[in-house]
Amino acid sequence: MRSRIDQILSVPTSDPDEARRGRLLNILLLGELVSALLGLIAVIVYVTNSGKSSIDAEIQILLGGIVIFTLGIFGIYQVNRRLSSRVAALLFLLLLTFIFVFTDSTEELVNGRSLFLFTLPIAIASLILAPPASFLFAAISSLIVAWLAASIGLAPNVFVISGFFMLALVSWLSARSLEQALQELRMINANLDHVVIERTQALSESLERERTEAGRNQAILNSIADGVIVFDRKWNATLANPAIKGMLEVPLELIVNKNFSELIEHPRLQPTSRRLLYAIMEHDTQPVGFRIEWAGKTLSVSAAQVYNNRSENIGTVIVFRDFTREAEVEKLKSTFVAIVSHELRTPLSAILGYAEMFNEAVYGPMNEKQVNMADRIMKNTQRLLGLINDLLDQAQMEAGKLTIKMAPVRPAELLENLHSLMDKTASDKGLRLTSDIDDNLPEALNGDAARLQQVLVNLVNNAVKFTDQGSIHVGLFFSAPKKWGIRVSDTGHGIPESELPYIFDTFRQVEGTATRVHGGFGLGLSIVKQLVSLMNGEIKVQSKTDMGTTFIINLPMIVSESTKKDWTLS
Amino acid sequence: MSILALIIEDDEDLASIFAEALRGVGFEVEHVTDGRLAEARLKNGPPPFLILLDMHLPHVSGGDILANIIKKEEHLAKTMVILTTADARMGETYGEMADFVMIKPISFVQLRDLTSRLKPKEE
Repeated sequence: MRSRIDQILSVPTSDPDEARRGRLLNILLLGELVSALLGLIAVIVYVTNSGKSSIDAEIQILLGGIVIFTLGIFGIYQVNRRLSSRVAALLFLLLLTFIFVFTDSTEELVNGRSLFLFTLPIAIASLILAPPASFLFAAISSLIVAWLAASIGLAPNVFVISGFFMLALVSWLSARSLEQALQELRMINANLDHVVIERTQALSESLERERTEAGRNQAILNSIADGVIVFDRKWNATLANPAIKGMLEVPLELIVNKNFSELIEHPRLQPTSRRLLYAIMEHDTQPVGFRIEWAGKTLSVSAAQVYNNRSENIGTVIVFRDFTREAEVEKLKSTFVAIVSHELRTPLSAILGYAEMFNEAVYGPMNEKQVNMADRIMKNTQRLLGLINDLLDQAQMEAGKLTIKMAPVRPAELLENLHSLMDKTASDKGLRLTSDIDDNLPEALNGDAARLQQVLVNLVNNAVKFTDQGSIHVGLFFSAPKKWGIRVSDTGHGIPESELPYIFDTFRQVEGTATRVHGGFGLGLSIVKQLVSLMNGEIKVQSKTDMGTTFIINLPMIVSESTKKDWTLS
Repeated sequence: MSILALIIEDDEDLASIFAEALRGVGFEVEHVTDGRLAEARLKNGPPPFLILLDMHLPHVSGGDILANIIKKEEHLAKTMVILTTADARMGETYGEMADFVMIKPISFVQLRDLTSRLKPKEE
């Protein structure tokens, strides 16, 4: 009903001012129509009650006027809707002014009770036609009033006319300020609309970005081979990727939206692995990595806590990787290393022993050539053993199995052993091996005697290999605070500066493989470097071509308390 | 009077080299090739002056034999034990329990010199 009335009252236009005026005009037209109809009803009631057989001429004119007025209103309404609301308004106001002329006696219209009627078009004109139009109707009304006054022989009422213009002025001002206010309001609305549009667009863009990001993250999660489960603060799984399903052979429904403890209690998980997983839950440990056994598979597990931008813990992400194959390879490798260690070294030990027996003439005197040959067998066997030991050390270090065992070590004993092992090697090549010990160095330190000895032997071996004449000096020094070190210097051919950065690389010697004159795998220095870093120390090299080479090792010093213990073998 | 040395070593070649070194010094040498036989021999036979004990043995490991010698066999209280192993780590682990540790490859000369020093001087 309301929309129907709205439809009748509205004017089809895009101009909001035109629409407002048109609508206002329509409301007035409707009001006029209703009053015309009420007038008609009143006339009919009057005629019926008067009991007269014929109708007075006055009544006839009144009826005619009402009919013409009604038709006029209808016509104006059509003009308003179809043509222009301004034209319609002008016609309406003119019609109104014209009708008023006939509503009362001329005296009353000029000076009496009906004079106010002429103020109506003046006030309405500023609202439905245009603000200045009130002056036009003030003028029209003034002319009509003056003309009517003249028709009955009176002078024009100057007060009334000036009142008309005063009213026109007030109407004009109020209508103008109303229009201005409306215009400002529209502008504010337009700005507001603009802001709303901008905000909406920004919001939809950010939503779009978020959706894209989420989609991309989901795609990454779905495509990686590692199993991923995301847990909230209370260890309920909020997200899991498809890979975890295949890895654990458990449907996703049993993982997502379940507590982690339910998964940990799964019968396929080994008890020791179960304890490890419970440990992450209980201790909220920061990035950890370990392996678990799940139904015959080895899985590497890494867990990391997730923090929001206020540094609050919001959960944990656990990544599972199928490590079964790597674990098998690792096991094979360590078995292989153990077998090689035993099976290669045992026969070589036997060869070495028999050669020594020849050399020592255990079964009777030998001639010089035979002794010489036994000597060569021994040397080559020792070299082979050295290479095997290097390879095994390297393999163990790669597998992370080589560990440092701390025990009291006497620096003096390290040098004694070094001399007993390397003096002959050096003197065979016409070199001198000398050593010194810093007086400030404690008598006993904590360290791994076997590995320190290995470092010394490797460095001296290396020095002997690359020195043709002169000497090799080994020094054990004290460097404050709480450091000690090993210095091995030789008078050999030195290392070109360009090669210095690479000398600790595995399987590398300064000469190319085709031109090498020095034997070995090139593992010695690499093993030294790895051992030194396992002992939390560092190694440096200083060298120039033909100026000799010096290796300097710095190690953290832990003074041993058991200095009194006798460590000599015999 | 001859002084007895027992070689517990599964590798025949190494055992014969060790035996030669020990004989050279003047020991009387006995040789067993696996852990089980070694345990039986240690329980029943006359206590040796010196045992050369390999850590890697069939049936019973050298470490177990060493633990038994120390804990149970009181008649072996005076017997010296030299551990032989290719594994330096193992040598360190059991080093405290034995009198000496020799890391393989064991030099014929080293073994001969060491045992020569250990052997009591004959009157």
